[in-house]
Order: sequence, then C-alpha cells, then structure tokens
Amino acid sequence: MGFITGKIKKIIFVVLTVIVFGIILFPPFVLFLTSVKTDIDALAFPPKWIFKPTIKNYVQIFQTSPFLRYILNSLIVASLNTFIALVLGSLAAYGLARYTFKGSENISFWILSIRMMPPVAAIIPLYIIMKNLHILDTPWCLVLIYLTFNLPFTVWMMKGFFEDVPREIEESALIDGCSEFDVFRKIALPLVSPGLAATAILVFIFSWNEFLFALILTGTRATTLPVGIILYMKETGINWGYMTAGGILALIPVVIFTMLVQKHLVKGLTLGALK
Amino acid sequence: MRRSRAFQTFKRKYVWVFFVAPAVVVLLGIVIFPLIFSLSLSLHEWNIIRAGGWNWTGLDNYAMILFMDPYFRTALKVTFLYLAGTVPVQFALGLAVALILYRITRKIIGFLRTSLVFPSIMTPIVVGIIWRLMYNPDMGMLNYFLKLLGLPPVNWTGSPLSALPSVMMADIWEWTPFMALILLAGLQALPKEPYEAAIVDGASAGQVLRYITLPLLSPVMIVAILIRLMDSFKTFDLIFVLTGGGPGMSTEILNYYTYRYGFKFFHMGYASALSWLLVVTVTVIALILIKTMRSRGIYAAGG
Repeated sequence: MGFITGKIKKIIFVVLTVIVFGIILFPPFVLFLTSVKTDIDALAFPPKWIFKPTIKNYVQIFQTSPFLRYILNSLIVASLNTFIALVLGSLAAYGLARYTFKGSENISFWILSIRMMPPVAAIIPLYIIMKNLHILDTPWCLVLIYLTFNLPFTVWMMKGFFEDVPREIEESALIDGCSEFDVFRKIALPLVSPGLAATAILVFIFSWNEFLFALILTGTRATTLPVGIILYMKETGINWGYMTAGGILALIPVVIFTMLVQKHLVKGLTLGALK
Repeated sequence: MRRSRAFQTFKRKYVWVFFVAPAVVVLLGIVIFPLIFSLSLSLHEWNIIRAGGWNWTGLDNYAMILFMDPYFRTALKVTFLYLAGTVPVQFALGLAVALILYRITRKIIGFLRTSLVFPSIMTPIVVGIIWRLMYNPDMGMLNYFLKLLGLPPVNWTGSPLSALPSVMMADIWEWTPFMALILLAGLQALPKEPYEAAIVDGASAGQVLRYITLPLLSPVMIVAILIRLMDSFKTFDLIFVLTGGGPGMSTEILNYYTYRYGFKFFHMGYASALSWLLVVTVTVIALILIKTMRSRGIYAAGG
C-alpha cells in the first residue's frame, strides 16, 4: 500500500514538473515557430503545426531593414558600458571591501539603493541634460546612462567577490612594498576573475535588454535592438515575420551568456541580497 | 624618515578614496544631480514643446496630482490592482514550484534550473512580443486552445475588461520562475539538522513544512517578495508592447502614466512631480529591503 501511494506521488510530481516547464517553454517555442513560418502560415488559424520551415524572415530582416545596424548599436553600447562599469565598479568595490572606514557601509548601501531607483524618475532630467549636451541619439549617451544601473550593480557584485577572497595574500604583498594599486591590479583582480567575468556578462545582458532609456534617448541613428524590433510594429499592422525573427536573434546572446553564468545568477538577480 | 612614516599612515588611511571616488563622482553626476534637477523641475510648470521658460509654481504640481487629477487616481488604482494581482500569485506559484523541484535530485535539475532563469533574463521587449503573439485574437495560441475546449474566443488585450488581467498573466509567466529559482536556492541552503530532529520526533510532512521549512525560509521569502514588489512598480516594457496603457487607461500603471505625461504630453514639470512620488514609494520599499539585508546575512545556494 505504502509502495503504491509512493509511486502515485512520484507520478504526480513528474506530471506537475512537466506541466510547469511546458508552460515556461511553450511561449518562446511559439515565438521560434512563427519566426520560421511564411507570412501566410504565420497568420493561419488554427495555427499550423506541420509546415515547411523557411529562413526567409532571417534573411530579409537584414536585407530590407537596418537590423544589422541595430545589432551593431546594441553591441557598441553594451560592450563600452560593460567595460566602463567594470573598471570603475571593481575599483570602488575593492575600496569598499578592503578598507573599512567610517561610513564605508553607508556608501555601499547608498550605491545599492541607486540600483533600485525607478528609471522613469531619472529619464526626464537626463533627457533634458542630454539634449543640452547635444548627445541625444548617439551611442555615447546610452553608454553613459546605462551606468546608472550597471555601475551600482558592478560595485555590489564585485564587493561580494572581493570579500570572499582572504586578504592575507594582499597584505603580505603590501608589506613587500607593492603599492596599493599594484596589489589591486596584479593580485586581487586576478583572484576574482571568475566573478569579474560573471559580472561582465550580467552587465552586458542588462544593457542589451534595456528598452525605456533607448526608446526615449535615441531617434533614428543610435537605435538599439529592442527599440529596432518595436519598429516592426506599425499602425498599419505588425510584421510578425520580422518581429519574431528579430526577437529570436535578440535572445541568442542572452541564452548563451545565461548558461555561462549559471552559478552567479541567484546572486546577480537579487542584487546580492542572497549569497 | 618620520615624515615619510606619517605619510604612509596617512596613505593607508585614505587610499580608499582613490578607489571609491571615481564611481561615486560618476553616480553623483548621472543620478543624484539629475534627481535634484527633477525635484526642482517638479516645482515648476514647463512644457518642453511650447516656447517659454520654467514658471515657478511651488507645490502646485503635487497638489494637482494628489487632489485634482482623476487620471492619477485611475493610474494609482491600476497600479494597486497590478501589484495585488501579480506579486502574491508569483510568490504562491513560485513557492509551489520550488517545493516540487526541491525533491528532484537527478541531473535534470540543472536543465530545469536553467529553464527557470530564462523568462526573467530574456529581453523584456521580446517577452512582450511573445505574449502579443499568444494573445493575438485572430491567430493566437490562447484563442486556439479556447477553441479546442469549445469556448468562445477572447479579445485578450483589446477589451478594457480583459486587458489588465492579460498583462498580469504575462507578468506572472515572466516572474514566477524567478520566485521559484530564488526560493529553490533558499531551500537548498537550509540547514539539515532541524529535519533530522523532526524525523526522529516523528513529524508528518505537513508539520515539517509548516513548522520548519517555511519559518526557516522566511528571510529568503521576504527578500524575494520585496524585490518583486519594487520591480513591479517599474513595469514598462511589457505594458508598452502589449497594450500601450490602453484600452482607455485600463493598463496604465503609475510608471507608464508618468512616461506618457513627460514624453507624449511634454509636461515636464508635472511628470517630474509624478516621478518623484514614484521615487518616494520605491525608496520606502528599497529601504525595507536594505534594512533586511543589513540586519542579517541571508544565505541561499547559488546557481
């Protein structure tokens, strides 16, 4: 009897797990399915499950729309922003992790609280400031502004990684006459390089995904990928082929990168609230 | 020699400034200065399109918003409904999923955990596109399923009644796995001893859950709920793609209302005042979260 109830319980668990992951994975699967359909197949109702797949959307999106430029813009913004966030952020994180001074904890939490600000609050003044600086609709504008959330994120993540490294090695190097900056660059930074890589990937993804700032601060030239995809949604109708193919292309780097940073995701997604 | 030693001590004591200052200066420039700028702007009337400067109006914008703006009240109501209809559901479902997955020890857990991460790290705009596709009244999957069940089609995001629940459902899809992931990590980091003691005492599975697992998990639960609550106020991308705040104002949460006031109506002063109300609200939640983080280290198994 106990054996049978145990077995039924197990089956229920398996079924529940399959349902849960069915629900999670089905909608993105529909996105992919639509992206490899012809326009006629995509609009068919009931939806076609068996059809001749085509890569037409993936070819045409590059040929007939500036999709490549959207990708390049996104790559430029995300890479430069990641680089600057990592340089400034890991310096600050090291300072906050290694030197406990009066108020160091307050500075840390102040920086963390900036990460939690609603972007809508900053966008109005930033729009006006960027307009007066004449850098609206340039990648530089986004590179700078994405620091508002990525720099605090980097500081907070890297601070955790530095704190996990024992400080004895660095202290002996200091006694040997290394300068503080050399200790940071040649000893501490290499020790946290896996954490640095994970942080870089997450920061890159955040920049890559960002929509609100890009929507308001770019016009026609510096359009990034998420804003570009939205342009296929017009008053006259939605170009589902381009929207879905563009969506899949936008997700590819995110999926690959996510698999690389598995270990640090919980920490990253909770801003280090959970270690 | 003595002077150099004094210099050394000085250097040791203040070297942190050189590490921390660049980041702090940048943040002061791109966050704090703009926020002060917007606070000042919120005390003025200024339409960016019409010619003319800032007109000092004192607290008029705030008074208008709080006492005279019926749309603000609608937006507030929508925001409240949105939060109440998403965060608790995400938490309950996420906890259920975490408790199911917690029992799985096979290798497949790696794949399952990766799947849990995707919705919350996917480009939010693409999540919106996915659900716009699912909700499409003419060829969408959801109406197809309704048809299979013999039910009439629904105009998901197109009608004022179903639009908000539709956006909420997409939000629940996007963030429930995040809840599950965090709670699962929390479960996996729980100490083993209380469970051993409970087994020795002959506690039932329900009792173990009620008296051991849930209380031990509560710090992780609080963090997860606070993070979701805070982020829900900032929902923008999903609403932008799915409904644009409509039909009418049926899906226009405060965040979206603020955006529309600033960048569709160009009333920058009024929009700044709205945004400051949002800042204050989110800051309150953020401070509670930070206080929780400061008072105790909360541990969860990473990854």
